[in-house]
Amino acid sequence: MTETRRGCPVSHTDYTGHAPILSHYGLLDADREEARFLFNDTTERGFFMLQRYDDVQEGFQQHENWTTAVRSALRPGLGEPLLPQDLNGQQHVKLRRILNQFFAPAAVRRMEPMAQQRCIELIEEMKGAGECDFVKEFAIRYPTDMFLALLGLPVSDGEQFLEWSDAYFGALLAGDPGRAEAAKTSIMKYFDEAVNERRANPRDPKEDMVSRLVQARIDDEALTHDEILTICLTLMLAGLDTTRSALGYIYAHLAQNPADRQALIDDPTLIPKAVEEFLRLYPLVFQAGREVQEPQDFNGLEVEPGDVVWLGIAQANRDPRKFENPDQFDIARHNANQHLAFGGGPHRCLGMHLARLELKVVLEEWHQRIPEYRIKAGTELTERGVQLSMSSLPLEWSV
Amino acid sequence: MFIAIDETKCMGHGRCYAVAEDLLSDDDEGFVAERGRCWELPADLVAQAQDAADACPEGAITVTETAPADA
Repeated sequence: MTETRRGCPVSHTDYTGHAPILSHYGLLDADREEARFLFNDTTERGFFMLQRYDDVQEGFQQHENWTTAVRSALRPGLGEPLLPQDLNGQQHVKLRRILNQFFAPAAVRRMEPMAQQRCIELIEEMKGAGECDFVKEFAIRYPTDMFLALLGLPVSDGEQFLEWSDAYFGALLAGDPGRAEAAKTSIMKYFDEAVNERRANPRDPKEDMVSRLVQARIDDEALTHDEILTICLTLMLAGLDTTRSALGYIYAHLAQNPADRQALIDDPTLIPKAVEEFLRLYPLVFQAGREVQEPQDFNGLEVEPGDVVWLGIAQANRDPRKFENPDQFDIARHNANQHLAFGGGPHRCLGMHLARLELKVVLEEWHQRIPEYRIKAGTELTERGVQLSMSSLPLEWSV
Repeated sequence: MFIAIDETKCMGHGRCYAVAEDLLSDDDEGFVAERGRCWELPADLVAQAQDAADACPEGAITVTETAPADA
């Protein structure tokens, strides 16, 4: 790499393709060790890459100058409005304040009995078959049902809803706005009916998020109907594909590492720690983007207004300067909690505790019922770039 | 030993009070209720304080021998 851009070596690594499972982490590790900062020229705008743990953490904290006018370094032009992500500064803080209480650990704990019950139902439904495509049949269905429950909607809508959300998300990541718009129309109509129902029949705003959104005031102004629908859509986009992907990588790992699986079966109280370590080791959202507003010297990197900055989440989580033997799954790792899988700064993932709960409940309930399973022989596992996901994970077990 | 929780860095990840439940508590929004404070630790809670510092993805918690100068 002799070519440079504003003093940074230039990387041509394309992070948007399909590839064998775990190969993106190899590319990310190689770029991180190439130079502290890189300029990547594979997108129209290009982006400056922050890759080491300390830089990425500090990057998330530059929220006053580095805004979410760009949310993904790889898809800076993604025009889909999202809330609260698109807000910055005090406006963002005020909306987060309304939403936070529904996603705080205490609120999420109240969802646990329902989360367990739904998880058990789904596992029992498929257990007798002795096989499933884990990511297509289980890992996406479960978070979809949980999302509907969070909005106070019937989980029986899950199957239909899943069809829409899958089409929408797939089109967005493929950068196909026409196809995305068509799928979005059905989803927004569904949310529109749900929000109108809650306007007509409000529930307790302390317990019911949609009722709270309908009644909320920011600087004495109610949220508009469109804003509420956008919040619903954002929660859907943030919570479904990510949880599916996390479960996919976790189960691919456990199917291929029987000793790790046996440890969780022997002592299920290890599961919360295992979840943290899995989040560190296999982050799906492997980068976040930001747009620079004012010129700044960031630890020697000169950034200018309009620059796109890449915050290398996976590179931070797998940085050997921060985590010893970063490629190893180590359930006893003392600082695994410091991973940046959910981002950092004021935009850190709102749903992180719900995600943790879902992953924990699945690991507990699944292994009680299906402790032994394997990946179907002859399967070649692949992953999608941009935001990691496996399209298929065929598992089989004895019945 | 002293613990200090930087209010400007705390973003409500909720990891600290999960690992230090005798020392820290949560508020309605999921932030640590003690953010912005600095206080001397009883000897039996020093280990939990260190765990809390190790659990914070923002580096918002510091555990020090002496009281920080600006506290």
